Amino acid sequence: MKKSIFILLAVLVGGFLNQVDAQGRRGLRINEVMVANDSNFIDDYGRHNAWIELYNSTYAPMEISSVYLTNNPAEPKKYPVPLGDVNTEIPARQHVVFWADGEPNKGTFHLNFKLTQGQDNWIGIYDANGITLIDSITVPASLLPNTTYARRLDGEGEGIEAWEVRDGSDTYYITPSSNNKIVDTNKKVEMFAETDGNGFGLAAMAMIIVFSALLLLCICFYIISRIGSKVSRRNKARSHGMSAETLTGRQTVQTTDHDSGEEIAAVVMALHEHLNAHDKESTILTINKVRKSYSPWSSKIYSLRELPRR
Amino acid sequence: MTFQEFITVNLHQFWVLTGFANCTWQHLVMLAVGLFFLWLAIKKNFEPMLLVPIGFGILIGNIPFNGTAGLEIGIYEENSVLNILYNGVSAGWYPPLIFLGIGAMTDFSALIANPKLMLIGAAAQFGIFGAYMVALALGFAPDQAGAIAIIGGADGPTAIFLSSKLAPNLMGAIAVSAYSYMALVPLIQPPIMRLLTTKKERVIKMKPARAVSQNEKIIFPIIGLLLTCFVVPSGIPLLGMLFFGNILRECGVTTRLAKTASNALTDIVTILLGMTVGASTQASEFLTIDTIFIFALGFMAFIIASASGVLFVKLFNIFLPQSKKLNPLIGNAGVSAVPMSARISNNLGLEYDPSNYLLMHAMGPNVAGVIGSAVAAGVLLGFLA
Repeated sequence: MKKSIFILLAVLVGGFLNQVDAQGRRGLRINEVMVANDSNFIDDYGRHNAWIELYNSTYAPMEISSVYLTNNPAEPKKYPVPLGDVNTEIPARQHVVFWADGEPNKGTFHLNFKLTQGQDNWIGIYDANGITLIDSITVPASLLPNTTYARRLDGEGEGIEAWEVRDGSDTYYITPSSNNKIVDTNKKVEMFAETDGNGFGLAAMAMIIVFSALLLLCICFYIISRIGSKVSRRNKARSHGMSAETLTGRQTVQTTDHDSGEEIAAVVMALHEHLNAHDKESTILTINKVRKSYSPWSSKIYSLRELPRR
Repeated sequence: MTFQEFITVNLHQFWVLTGFANCTWQHLVMLAVGLFFLWLAIKKNFEPMLLVPIGFGILIGNIPFNGTAGLEIGIYEENSVLNILYNGVSAGWYPPLIFLGIGAMTDFSALIANPKLMLIGAAAQFGIFGAYMVALALGFAPDQAGAIAIIGGADGPTAIFLSSKLAPNLMGAIAVSAYSYMALVPLIQPPIMRLLTTKKERVIKMKPARAVSQNEKIIFPIIGLLLTCFVVPSGIPLLGMLFFGNILRECGVTTRLAKTASNALTDIVTILLGMTVGASTQASEFLTIDTIFIFALGFMAFIIASASGVLFVKLFNIFLPQSKKLNPLIGNAGVSAVPMSARISNNLGLEYDPSNYLLMHAMGPNVAGVIGSAVAAGVLLGFLA
């Protein structure tokens, strides 16, 4: 019995960890592919080969060792990215290029398969379990030599409309190991500069948001305080063995009659003096001038109270 | 090389590295500014907890040295000790730690007891966006204008956090400006408050706030976090830490953590933050025409924020019954200089009626201002980052 529970737990934990792992690498994307490379980018050995660019679309570094690259859906574990290479950690929003030259002995980034010109090339990335497909793309057979099939925006979009053919011209530039879309300005800032030159639009929107957030909080606490006071009144009534309405009526009478805070303080002071009830004080009474450097930052009088104890 | 030449060459090399050989008038100006801050803090008792670290930091950051010698001592030189300490400012992780401490030392009772005071905290954020528009008119880019305008929130950590994201090149000037104006709250706010209120309004007595139950205090940081961060997720670093600190304090079972967050941790981060912000005002980076604009805009933002808080209370009073009128003197506390601006409300209230204690009433808008400025920073970050 104990053993079966242990196995069940192990399976659950294993499944959970697997899920976590999959989520961690879910941001890995195939970003740009060149199938026939005659005169384009060259590898470390000075040779032209097909290449596949992967992109870490997350805002955290991503370790991709042990994920699988493949060109065959029936063989998901075709090329495992080797362990132990520091270069397999892709920085946030950065790229890495794999060479599809069929020569894995040349290093971590050389795959054990090739891409075939003139036919559709399916490329997939599987997670370490070899089951979870992280990303895939079918590069069309019509892709000409020295052109790439690339995402319009790095790591973004789904389906073929997110992709385009790039021929290396000024408009459709080829960017192995670099951003497909070169961004030299902050689009948001540009938009605000163009359409909201005097800042009134942003000011109005921002103030509405700030007011809405605090108004929401205000309404919420108004409701909570109403409920809280009702609950406390009901509890008090129960402890006195009467209905909440009766207690409320009594309290109303008491409230109209009761003394002000100053009057209560005066009564307490008088009783204190009369009974001569002094505490033993640890402080020293002196007529010497005592100079204290004061700042509200160090003062606990104004903003603080005793920490609550249970 | 003769022995005499050897001595001369080495002494000359030594001289080239000294502060005397590298001193410029800009260094002297900044050293004077640092000494002025120290004088304000020590002799005038103006926010010494802020101005002593900043003032001394200005001295540290403006000791002239030969920047081309590669000594790795300047705050902007990679891997220097000061640069490592400055990482908390440049990467923006000191401000959330300060917010953790603020949350752990703030009692939100006044706000919970009278939730409508939250709106005053929102109204005071007009200062930020007013300054944003003026900064745009002066030719700053929208992201820079947003970073400068946040000075109007009177919230040093928020100003540092936002400027580190939107305009890192202006961060030194923005931080020093924000902290300087926070320290000068007792000088800046009272004339505005007097100008915008009548004698009759200044003596309005507000009803004492009701007692707030422990459960409400525990619920506040949870609801506060969820509501504000669902509206502005970019405020998570600041608001998350603020409310986290507060729940440590209020839950009653993490007293030790609350004490550490509100005392030791806050003190450590304040020391490092103040000193490195001061040191970041290296003359070569700091003394520019932009800095003058930033100080002027910050001052203006502060005035607009204080004024809009007071005016909003007056507007609010039109809709409130006679028995529930608010004293407009608590409006200035909508800026989040905690608790200085609430103290100003109290002092001014006592000046006109010695029995009118406004402190706890003013603490409501004051802490709402902290939340409001963090939300405003989140909005600017969301729009412009």
